[in-house]
Amino acid sequence: MNNIVLIGWTNTRLFLRDKGSWVWLFLMPLTFVGFMGFAVRAPSGPAEARPAVLIDNRDEGFLGRIFLRELGEQGLRVLSPDAAADDAPRGIVIPPDFTARVLAHKQASLEFFDSGGDTPDKEDFLVGARLLRAVIALNGHLAEHAVAHPGEPPTEAGLAALLESPPSVSVHATHAGRRPRPVGFAFSLPGNLVMYLFLNTLIFGGAAVAEQRRSGVLRRMAIHATTRAELLYGTIFGLMLLAAVQVAFLLAVGQFVLGVDIAHSLPGIVLTLILFSWVAASLGVLIGFLVTGEEKVVGICLAIALPAAALAGCWWPLEFAPAFLQHAALAVPTGWALRALHQLITFGAGISQITTSLGALAAFGIAANFAALRFFRI
Amino acid sequence: MSLLRARDLSKRFGELKAVDGVSLTVESGEIYGLLGPNGAGKTTTLSMICGLLAPDSGEVRIDGKSFHEHPGEVRRAMGVVPQEIALYKEMSGRENLEFWGRIAGISRRDARTRAAELLDALGLADRADDPVKNYSGGMQRRINLGCALMHRPRLLLLDEPTVGIDPQARANILDFIRGLVADGMGVLYTTHYLEEAETLCHRIGIIDHGRLLAEGTLEELKRHGGETDLFAVEGDFNGADPAAWDGFAEAFRIIQQTERSLTVAPLGDPDPARCLKALLNLPVRVENVTVKRPSLNETFLRLTGRELRE
Repeated sequence: MNNIVLIGWTNTRLFLRDKGSWVWLFLMPLTFVGFMGFAVRAPSGPAEARPAVLIDNRDEGFLGRIFLRELGEQGLRVLSPDAAADDAPRGIVIPPDFTARVLAHKQASLEFFDSGGDTPDKEDFLVGARLLRAVIALNGHLAEHAVAHPGEPPTEAGLAALLESPPSVSVHATHAGRRPRPVGFAFSLPGNLVMYLFLNTLIFGGAAVAEQRRSGVLRRMAIHATTRAELLYGTIFGLMLLAAVQVAFLLAVGQFVLGVDIAHSLPGIVLTLILFSWVAASLGVLIGFLVTGEEKVVGICLAIALPAAALAGCWWPLEFAPAFLQHAALAVPTGWALRALHQLITFGAGISQITTSLGALAAFGIAANFAALRFFRI
Repeated sequence: MSLLRARDLSKRFGELKAVDGVSLTVESGEIYGLLGPNGAGKTTTLSMICGLLAPDSGEVRIDGKSFHEHPGEVRRAMGVVPQEIALYKEMSGRENLEFWGRIAGISRRDARTRAAELLDALGLADRADDPVKNYSGGMQRRINLGCALMHRPRLLLLDEPTVGIDPQARANILDFIRGLVADGMGVLYTTHYLEEAETLCHRIGIIDHGRLLAEGTLEELKRHGGETDLFAVEGDFNGADPAAWDGFAEAFRIIQQTERSLTVAPLGDPDPARCLKALLNLPVRVENVTVKRPSLNETFLRLTGRELRE
């Protein structure tokens, strides 16, 4: 056991001493997390999209202000008329007699203008729908006020209070018939974590073993009272320590900088990544035993890690891929690791709901360990 | 009881018999040189002695104990210096010494103390904290040697520890080894450098094609090769069949023959003048004849039919 820890710590120190490895451990994953997070952010998320509208409020009463608040409640970003036209090609003009007409029980009209192209886009529809909802809600509040205060005209304070109170009737909409998909940093962080952890651990592990075989370091260790298992697990332990450093860094950045909710499922995430790093380290060591020459090892590791990352859905949401590719993802450990992380981070699953993924990763790890012991070469 | 006793070691790799029935002993305070050309079986023999390779047959005992019965004790009793620089090149000399000491089973504190001692003894104290990759070849060889001494072994196995370094660095290492032996350590030293075997080793075993052809002290080996001189004849021996020459087979034994040279040992009358006269009268064009005095090189030549440098 002492030798396992000693070999592991020594290897980790050596990896971290090489400043070049920092690029692959920290800089590259972070760059890709940022880039891919922006590329796949959620443009169609109805709860988050807030299209902007210019509001020219000419109303001389209070209902214009109430209506502005209602527009905000309905998910429109209200801009003043002096904002640049590029910021919001659509707008609403509230007429000066808006309040007066409503209080006089006369129909009041709002003017909606669109300075965009001739062909309406999806944002036009979204703005139109939200505007309509805001009008309906305003009418609803007026009716509610009339019922609550019979014979009294509506007041700004009374309508504002109604706006703040929870709605009597609401619709809770959920996805029906299809699963939501991870988007933004919640997609790019686990994807790149899985890809770079796999890639780095394979390459560092394979190249280190190949180099130590070439230089005779492994043979020298075997001369001492070091068993084959100690040599193997010492090397794997070192790689797992290195993976832990990378994981801790990326998870911390995800939680505290990118706003990905890691904390609520941290135990499951950590357990998944420990298992996954064990699988990757065992495979890296196995490649080092099978292949001589560091350059050849690096080439083979790249040829394994990159397709495995693509297949697993690290580069694009797997939901976009055809069904057979979604099934193929389960043939690689990256697929199971990413599946578990998405379940934990995006879908709020607990450890009990990712046991299949954990079991599959454990099976990969055991198989890789057996193979590494079988093909152990010094 | 011998510190090291290897008996009848054999090892085969497929069709190749790499080591064939090698037996040798090393005593405390003795340097035993295993001399042979590349591919003779030296490293394979050493690998079986240090437990890296399991022999097909034969037995190794260190201080009377076998690997099979006492693997831990046997390993602790010996230090091995591999032919390659088996070090972490990114780590300093001190870090390497401490690491290999701890792998050999000594505590962190002892490793620190022992590393400082060895760095002094090896003349590397002033470069102790530099990465090994920045050391010269000779300095790397010294650290390579030091790593095998961290746990104070009683038997040291050195596999060509001076390959590829300059004469001065080689002399430093050989002096250091002499100092270790003076303190009672037993050393098994493989080399293909004749002069190292001649100047360093108390006893020498000559190995070729996996077989130990002869062993003994330098003087014994010279006698083993015969007291007589050898004669190296330069000339045109292309297609020649000296055994068919009249009276040649009765007067000389052929040690080595190439297209341009013939090395022979006299049979019977060793008188140099008569031998020279006979050789100059051979039925081929003879350009030069050289007399070779008995030496380890000549012994090696007689035993193996080739020079060590070939």
